[in-house]
Amino acid sequence: METANSGALEALLKRGELVESTSEMTPDYLRELKHTLLVSGDTELISAPAYYLAARKAPSVNAFMTGIAIIQDELAHAHIAYHILEELGESQEALIFKRDPKAFRYPYAFDVPLESWTELVVANAMYDQAGFCLLGDIHEHGSYGPWKRGLVKVMAEENFHLRNGRNWCKRISQAGGEAREELQRAVDWMFPLTVEWFGLPDNLKQHSTQLDYRLKGLTNDQLRQQWLATVVPFMESIGIQVPAHKEGEGYVLDYPFPCTFDADEKRWDFKDPCSWDAVLKRWRARGPRNAEMVALFQESFAKFQVRA
Amino acid sequence: MTFSPLFHAGAGPLEARLWSALAEINDPEMPVNLVDLGLIYGLTVDGGRVCVRLTFTAMGCPATEMLMGDIRDRLLAEPGIDDVRLDVVWDPPWTSARLTAEGRDALRAWGLAV
Repeated sequence: METANSGALEALLKRGELVESTSEMTPDYLRELKHTLLVSGDTELISAPAYYLAARKAPSVNAFMTGIAIIQDELAHAHIAYHILEELGESQEALIFKRDPKAFRYPYAFDVPLESWTELVVANAMYDQAGFCLLGDIHEHGSYGPWKRGLVKVMAEENFHLRNGRNWCKRISQAGGEAREELQRAVDWMFPLTVEWFGLPDNLKQHSTQLDYRLKGLTNDQLRQQWLATVVPFMESIGIQVPAHKEGEGYVLDYPFPCTFDADEKRWDFKDPCSWDAVLKRWRARGPRNAEMVALFQESFAKFQVRA
Repeated sequence: MTFSPLFHAGAGPLEARLWSALAEINDPEMPVNLVDLGLIYGLTVDGGRVCVRLTFTAMGCPATEMLMGDIRDRLLAEPGIDDVRLDVVWDPPWTSARLTAEGRDALRAWGLAV
């Protein structure tokens, strides 16, 4: 594969231009781009079984249709990332159907089971908001042309997911009683999981190749702040408590970050701070639903594989 | 104001206000409001009760409940309105011919061939 030298790529990026083909990439840029695409594709893909297992609990026919439509969107968004990976020389089939469940690179949050309609709509309000921040950044600042253009429609569709999440959260909160308590419990465990979604804080992440290559434009902490700035005011506006508050220009967490999480109990121990090494270890080991979800789309592939 | 002159013709000041209110509600994915999209077939007001006749782009539209909830909330926020009735109809069926000129422009600008 013909590749560019780093000087030419650097100059192109400096001019604010877009990379359009592999001939303009260095091997290092290509590797980072593929990694970023893989995380994005895996995240969209795994959200489908994660959401599906909860959408089955929909409280009405149309709510179920909404859940299914969102899942359909997520699969299409995954396809955009995998399709580009294929153009870059990877096998889509191998990536989706032949990888070990633990090799998938989506955020740990999806490994913790979403088990009710309430948890699904909180995921729409918080997880999809995280996806919106991350993809919005790539859409706005990303240096790879084909992906940037593919994201135009993705952003519009993610809006639908956010609106579904917010409408339902508001509705459940207004209903009060047991429904509202269930909503608060879901937010209690899902909020910190989404906060850690954005990765290591900037002071621990000395250097980001993704930023050098403009594969993203904002740092982990900037993206985390962007997410907090939308989710915290929204949750407060519907009377749901979140462990963060505004201080000056930014948002501050009201708990030690990071701290320990019991995935089976879906419970954070705010009295037990931990190291990022411990968090990375938990992420690498993957969570309770990893194998089940990957099996959901891998199982039948082998069985029905037809060769021409 | 970007709503259909066809449906809006002859509306009194309260009705006009309600049409404007409905035109604040956007489709969940496309940058076009429900009135310009041509989903609202008509509205009548009787005292504090407003009855909206509407349709959706498809029977399988996954956003019907979301949109009906938004319509209800928005109309109830109007002074003098305390009851909202929604009458969902499929005849005549929605087609892109129901888009207003503004709706058509908005969707074209967004990249849809309409």
